[in-house]
Amino acid sequence: MNDYKAIMIGGSAGSFQVVSRIIAALPANYPLPILMCLHRLKHIRSGFVEALSIKSKLPIIEPHDKEPLKAGRIYLAPANYHMYIELGNRFSLSTEDVVNHSRPSIDLSFFSASYNFKKKLVGIILSGANKDGALGLKSVTDNGGLTIVQDPKECQVPTMTTASMNATKVDYVFSTKQIIDFLLKLA
Amino acid sequence: MVTNEDAARLITAIKTSSTYDFTDYSDKSFCRRIEKILLDNNMDLNQLIHKIGKDKDFLEQMVKDITVNTTELFRNPEMWQTLRYHILPKFKKNRSIFIWHAGCSSGQEIYSMLILLNELGMFDQAKVFATDINTDMLEAAKAGQYKYRFNLGYLDNFDKVIKENPFNFEDKVDVPYEKYFDIDKVKDTIQMKPFLREKAVFRKHDLVKDGNVFYSKFDLIFCRNVIIYFNNKLQSRVIDMFNSSLNRDGYLILGSHESILGASANNFERSKGFYKKKQM
Repeated sequence: MNDYKAIMIGGSAGSFQVVSRIIAALPANYPLPILMCLHRLKHIRSGFVEALSIKSKLPIIEPHDKEPLKAGRIYLAPANYHMYIELGNRFSLSTEDVVNHSRPSIDLSFFSASYNFKKKLVGIILSGANKDGALGLKSVTDNGGLTIVQDPKECQVPTMTTASMNATKVDYVFSTKQIIDFLLKLA
Repeated sequence: MVTNEDAARLITAIKTSSTYDFTDYSDKSFCRRIEKILLDNNMDLNQLIHKIGKDKDFLEQMVKDITVNTTELFRNPEMWQTLRYHILPKFKKNRSIFIWHAGCSSGQEIYSMLILLNELGMFDQAKVFATDINTDMLEAAKAGQYKYRFNLGYLDNFDKVIKENPFNFEDKVDVPYEKYFDIDKVKDTIQMKPFLREKAVFRKHDLVKDGNVFYSKFDLIFCRNVIIYFNNKLQSRVIDMFNSSLNRDGYLILGSHESILGASANNFERSKGFYKKKQM
């Protein structure tokens, strides 16, 4: 296997259950950082991390600005901020305008992560009701990284995965189970 | 896509033609802003660099477009609740309380603070100063007028901070909005009352090159979601400037996902997201 440096997951409506299953399956010594950019309701700012943490063996963190990125942690884009990865593997946050009606925007997170990690990034797009993330996943392909989308047939809302498949040639179309198996094989 | 190399070229060009220095801005956000400016003006980077070299007004406008101005009335209600129940009572007995809103943007944070001070009976003792790099934003802050329908969340935030007590759910007070602002649904505006608008002293200020320009020290300095646009080096410099501008027992208040990194952190005690100046 290619020596990947990070995994980035984007999702929106219908992705919470999928993310919960993925997180629950990862062992406490998982060696890669997982970066998640998920749309949430603007006014539900607390409770999300706690809900995801219940099943997770890895710490789930909403990063602070300029926090260094570390392996074996799950990072979740904080509500109402865009989340970027800067060269030198630090997070940076921004409150600039919404993109695709979203802040955090999945596209923006993927653009910065693919620019930073190039071919060492695995990008995954899950269920979602808008097309935010499609151009982001294309940027992963364009930078030589590996791309996965959740099988649209399995998605509660397939808009995001379908848009991603239209925007770029994805490497794998996987069920949740297959995504989990793949991530475990990277360890 | 604007690369870090492109950004470096543009930053040099801006420095040559003005007093603005974006060298220590955060790379990703800066590049994003430039991409947007290129798109909005239908230019490539070379055209942009050429244009700012000979058109001062355009350059001033571009600087305004680079800065980000997202804000809300009572943004992060939890922070304002902490301020209300844990921080401000400590200052109530003081003859005056000096407050600086650094990077005040369109002013919602200033009005949030003034409303809260008034509710606590601390309005008259407050000396309020507000600065921003963007003069358009200073004018908007002075005007104190905001869109109504787009900002319905302001009213929810107001209710949470002003009408409700998170530490005692039975403690509810009815404070009418008209005490502080007028809502005009036809004109689609929220207009802050004159007694609030006349309170703060406004001044243009660039955190990159200007220090504390006021002849006083402060009890509270707000600088929320501003230094996220700076790199570590500039963040530390600005934080140190704030530290030396704070009174004994003063607090620095940052955005909910900002923190103080490196040696500068040793000068503060952190509690509930507030940074209290340490006694040395």
